[in-house]
Amino acid sequence: MAYSDKVIDHYNNPRNVGSLDKKDQNVGTGLVGAPECGDVMKLQMKINPETRVIEDAKFKTFGCGSAIASSSLATEWVRGKTVEEALAIKNTDIVRELSLPPVKIHCSVLAEDAIKAAISDWKKKAGEEQTAEASATSAHS
Amino acid sequence: MGCAGFSAPTLGEGDPENSMTATRTQTEPTPSLSCWSCKAPSGGGHFCAACGKIQPLPRDADYFAFFALPQKLQIDEPGLEQRFHQLSWKLHPDNFVKASEYERNLALERSSELNDAYRMLRDPISRVEYLLLRAGVRKEGTTKQQAPPELLEEVFELNESLDELREAKSEGLPSEARGDLTELRAKLTEAQQNFQQKLAEVDAELNAVFAEWDQTLAQPDGDAARKAVMAKLNELLNRRSYIRNLVRNVGEELGQN
Ligand code: FES
Repeated sequence: MAYSDKVIDHYNNPRNVGSLDKKDQNVGTGLVGAPECGDVMKLQMKINPETRVIEDAKFKTFGCGSAIASSSLATEWVRGKTVEEALAIKNTDIVRELSLPPVKIHCSVLAEDAIKAAISDWKKKAGEEQTAEASATSAHS
Repeated sequence: MGCAGFSAPTLGEGDPENSMTATRTQTEPTPSLSCWSCKAPSGGGHFCAACGKIQPLPRDADYFAFFALPQKLQIDEPGLEQRFHQLSWKLHPDNFVKASEYERNLALERSSELNDAYRMLRDPISRVEYLLLRAGVRKEGTTKQQAPPELLEEVFELNESLDELREAKSEGLPSEARGDLTELRAKLTEAQQNFQQKLAEVDAELNAVFAEWDQTLAQPDGDAARKAVMAKLNELLNRRSYIRNLVRNVGEELGQN
């Protein structure tokens, strides 16, 4: 698998690795996994409730290089954006920026899902809207 | 679309369920099944029913059809193995040394298909993955399912412990940290057992849904039911792949395998 330079850069120097306090009212946590490969990604954002600006973002990903690069890029992109702007980020933007090959598209989907899940977690904490499709659970017992 | 008006030819080996198989996975009609050599109806088997010459592979044949099996998920595995051995013997290149080059190529083609088909079908997991892949239910990059959140939590935590163990190992331990390492190992071993247990549970669940699937095959208007069962299978497979990766990673880190 030939990775693009940008992927390699993010992989070798991942931005914003780490975590934020999950219990903080202003922190939204998104934990998602790619069914195809079993990889997991956690993305957290600290959001200012007044301005709705994402002031900090951290991630931790256990997965392939593309998933690490996608989440690293995602944290870079969402910082300083408003919640609404962040929600507009599409996985295809990530694919384009990182020149991901078709087999690695699901890794970027993971990053988009993580952004959505983190924001919906934050909204839930803030008492805004209850359900978001990002957190849909369809487990059978 | 594609399959309207397609009436399945009688396939050999006395298998009435094959017609149904064909309606769902084959998008184009099977090319005419008359023998390339004697022109009589070939019967759709590996060899012409009339003259016994080896036949080309139908363009879109699936692995189940190759063994003249219905698309069942609970299959008679010893029977399949026996079939495999019989066919490898029948299709063996040694039997074609005096045949034309065309026939030798057909034999080669069928032999390699035989091996692929057998490898795919003998294992229940690859069997169901194959079925879903053919039906377009499982596809790279397009699936949007998520594993159950509580499982993700566990997966994540375990990955973190794994990381700790890796780091501890690579740093070369000062002796006072040895105790921590033992503790970490114990924790991981326990987690591994826990996930192995989960894996067994998922496998049992899968098996139950296999039976459900096989029953829908007998329903003439079972398309909706089959779709629902396929979705269930797909979700179980997703869950399984999380757990399996984890068990493997932990095993590697603990120096097993
Ligand atoms: S291969 Fe799993 S996220 Fe990329």
